[in-house]
Amino acid sequence: MNKPTGSEIRVASPLKAWASRFALLLLVGAAFGLMLIGRTNTFVVEETRTTVTDMVTPILDAISQPVDTFSGVIDRAESFTRLSADNEALKAQNARLLQWQAVARRLEAENAALRSLNNMVPDPKMSYVTARVVGDPGGAFVRTVLINAGERNGVAKGQAAVTGNGLAGRIAEVGQRSARVLLLTDINSRVPVVVGAGRDRAVLAGDNTNAPQLLYLGPTAKIQVGDQVTTSGHGGVFPPGLPIGVVSGVSESGFRVKPFVNWAHMEVLRIVDYELPGILDFEAQVGAARAAAAAAAGTDQ
Amino acid sequence: MRQEEGVWYRLDVVARSVSPFFVTLLLVLLGLVPLRIADLSPIVPALALIGVFFWSVHRPHLMPIWAVFLIGLLQDLLIGSVIGPGIIGLLIAHALVVWQYRFFLAASFAVIWCAFMLVAAAALAATWLLNCIAMLSYVDPAPLFFQYLVTMAFYPCLAWAFLRGQRLFQR
Repeated sequence: MNKPTGSEIRVASPLKAWASRFALLLLVGAAFGLMLIGRTNTFVVEETRTTVTDMVTPILDAISQPVDTFSGVIDRAESFTRLSADNEALKAQNARLLQWQAVARRLEAENAALRSLNNMVPDPKMSYVTARVVGDPGGAFVRTVLINAGERNGVAKGQAAVTGNGLAGRIAEVGQRSARVLLLTDINSRVPVVVGAGRDRAVLAGDNTNAPQLLYLGPTAKIQVGDQVTTSGHGGVFPPGLPIGVVSGVSESGFRVKPFVNWAHMEVLRIVDYELPGILDFEAQVGAARAAAAAAAGTDQ
Repeated sequence: MRQEEGVWYRLDVVARSVSPFFVTLLLVLLGLVPLRIADLSPIVPALALIGVFFWSVHRPHLMPIWAVFLIGLLQDLLIGSVIGPGIIGLLIAHALVVWQYRFFLAASFAVIWCAFMLVAAAALAATWLLNCIAMLSYVDPAPLFFQYLVTMAFYPCLAWAFLRGQRLFQR
């Protein structure tokens, strides 16, 4: 193959130049058109996106495995260098946690007793789907990851994605064998939360930085740096009480939250299937109660 | 026997002519692989931009404008951002190179690298602006700036690999 010369790239001929300019305008116009479609008809865009993601996920799955192995080897090598310091710290932590365990057992028993006293409706059962993180698009505009589980594994839109440390995000798009997780830090992420011992309600909003902020705090809310932030369960999408992070600082725009999740080591995510049999049961219970009331009214008459 | 050679020859020609497109698609996929390195994710290099620029300069007839559009579309779909800004960024990079093709014909590697700095700045700035408009919110451009720097640093490595690959093909 010869090196291309000026004559080979025949852009110089006026007709070609005109055609190429027309093609450029056409395609830029098409891109703007796609932008508009994306804003108005999200369903079509989402379908296309999940189809493409489904096709690509097996490839990403294959490529990301050696990367995971390699990073695992490096982690292990790193941990060898601080074995003794880690050992000391873990012993101290273990002693502290044993005390907490005793407290938690006592509270759990007390809680169960109080719940049964009050005939409280039990929380719905949670089941988990565990999936590997196979894609991390990165970049300045989104904070999402792709996982290798989809509809056929029981993943559905809106479910919470958690790591061992806490909430990472929620399922935004689901394909057959892949799904996209919108992380807490994404600019489009909004999670209803409760903050601190006062259980003040707020919305945790991402803005593509590592520390999302708290919005819509009540005027009476008393919040300090270090307060725990957990999911509130409002809206019925997330189970209540999932740990998210701690209030890390105050800025002009409001309180910032540092999530517990270690973003760099998010290799596996657990997708929480929080079936809300509670709601269905509740409706059934209300129905039954009405029927009983009607029957009682009937016998009274 | 001759017929068979003809088939192989044609296959060879086809493989050569589609390789820039598929190599750039592969770069889009590689950009998605999670690297498990702290704080790297927001500033991963814009690999597809490097691919589109390199082939637009060195083999413009193998990186036609519709191929650039398809690469941009796939990239925007997979990244999960708004569809469109990424495509327009790549189209701008391609159009700038085609517009100044005479300049690139005689340019040395260092000069092409410098030109890439300008082209990439224009492409990424356009992508940022359109993303802000499409999302109706101000996106902090700081990660994008670092992404730009990382992309600059990556260009020579990838370009070297591409040039080696090209020479291998030409033998």
